[in-house]
Amino acid sequence: MTPGEPLVRWDWIASHAGEIATRIGEHLILTGIAVAVGLAIALPVGLAVARRERLYAGAVWASGVLYTIPSLALFALLIPFSGLSVLTAEIGLVSYTLLILVRNVVVGIRSVPEEVRDAARGMGYAPRQVLWGVELPIALPVIVAGLRVATVSTIGLVTVTALIGQGGLGAFILDGIQRFFSTPLILGAVLSVLLAVVIDSALAVVERALTPWREPERALARIGAT
Amino acid sequence: MSRSGSTLELRHVTKRYGGKAAVDDLTLEVPAGAVCILVGPSGSGKTTSLRMINRLVEPTTGEILIDGADARREDPAALRRRIGYVIQQVGLFPHRTVADNIATVPRLLGWKGERVAARVDELVELIGLDRSFLPRYPAQLSGGERQRVGVARALAAEPPLLLMDEPFGAVDPIVRERLQDEFLRIQRALGTTVVFVTHDIDEAIKLGDHVAVLRDGRLVQYAPPAVLLDSPADDFVARVVGADRGLKRLALVPVGELPLRQADTLADGAPLGGGEGFVLRLGPDRKPIGWVNRARPDLAPDPSSPILRRSTRARDALSLLLAAAVRDGVVVDDEGRYVGVIGIDEIASTFERAE
Repeated sequence: MTPGEPLVRWDWIASHAGEIATRIGEHLILTGIAVAVGLAIALPVGLAVARRERLYAGAVWASGVLYTIPSLALFALLIPFSGLSVLTAEIGLVSYTLLILVRNVVVGIRSVPEEVRDAARGMGYAPRQVLWGVELPIALPVIVAGLRVATVSTIGLVTVTALIGQGGLGAFILDGIQRFFSTPLILGAVLSVLLAVVIDSALAVVERALTPWREPERALARIGAT
Repeated sequence: MSRSGSTLELRHVTKRYGGKAAVDDLTLEVPAGAVCILVGPSGSGKTTSLRMINRLVEPTTGEILIDGADARREDPAALRRRIGYVIQQVGLFPHRTVADNIATVPRLLGWKGERVAARVDELVELIGLDRSFLPRYPAQLSGGERQRVGVARALAAEPPLLLMDEPFGAVDPIVRERLQDEFLRIQRALGTTVVFVTHDIDEAIKLGDHVAVLRDGRLVQYAPPAVLLDSPADDFVARVVGADRGLKRLALVPVGELPLRQADTLADGAPLGGGEGFVLRLGPDRKPIGWVNRARPDLAPDPSSPILRRSTRARDALSLLLAAAVRDGVVVDDEGRYVGVIGIDEIASTFERAE
């Protein structure tokens, strides 16, 4: 950074509008794939282990181990196998969503009151109908809560995938670091945070729309009752 | 809407968990349209017995026949859609409105939308809830309202057989009493066969046509409430029905079924005449006004005798007489017209017969 240079050069930002839009798009796609694949894995795994305590402990342990591997190290380890590719990026990103998603699927399924499940069976729901008609809708708020945390943390992690050439807002940050140029660095960081906040709020709105039945509960929470 | 209930027969039904029998060789017959109460302490196998009927629990051995057909031959889910099911914790679906909860089984059976909607309307009326409840969610209902919706949901597809597991156990006593009365009214109107689990002997006696007393998974006695109270099979049943079983027996008898005495009466406007003793002054339409002392024609009629309807239970009549500290109560018909009088002695003689 040269002395006298302003922290943010607005003219640079204005002249890179097209690239900014592209990077945001890349960032969203990388995040979207990671969370979607993560959920596609976590849902069946969570359902399978929800009522089997030892399997659940094993699943949490395994996804916990994945979660603790530093992302840079994980990418480095994967490059010999899958190269500097989207696959490498996504293997890492998906791995980090699993701990949160598996746990929330299990907690969500376990939050279904036993008497509700019993009533559903007693009323003549087939096992599959109990799952799709009763258990998953009731578990939805907890699953969506997990989805929100996983999405926000993935948006942060995607900035790292720029290191293996996958673009996203991390590319601006990388560019800023390499050129000692603060504008793209700050731009990348701020946009990444904004993106996380916006997506999180959007998911919150989606959750509300999908769970009108929790409105009385939310009303109570607003007036401070428990 | 009224249609007859199923017959139900349990033949030598046993459920073992490991080596232990939760239900041991249970044989029971419930006639169509009857209310059968399973009563006993916790661990006596009453809930397990109930859940074997709709196969939420599979019997280890034995047969369960509904309208003569073996329940094990049918697909469990299809079987359950024909059998109503109500549990203590209700288990309403929290994510569905009252209307959608009630519509559960009709929709599972593939009823058309209009028919479902019409049935839901019929049911909210039957259970005495306002239509404004239909779009609400279970979280917005009181305990009693939830339990009513639970009953409506169970009755939605007009099941000929209804299973209820301590359905009124979680509501306060006043609401429970009202729900019990409503249950009886609905059951009599529909003629549904009901198997009902409770640990409350008063509830069993009030609601049951037949009461099955269970102990350690075995059937100890199966009889109508009056027989259970008159002649308990053993000490265990005697303890279950309680030391006040004589009074409970009185609670089953309406005053109208007891022998009434005729008092001297004085029709509206008739002259008192002379003589001694008390005479019952009647108003227009033969409604009782009060006792007049022939020796003291100057005094106003004394109204302190309790007025009893023919449907008043003998136990309540006794209690009213004791509270009013008088010897006789005046029995009237549904229009309030004089029928006869009954005293503590006559009620007590019923008590003796009961012993």
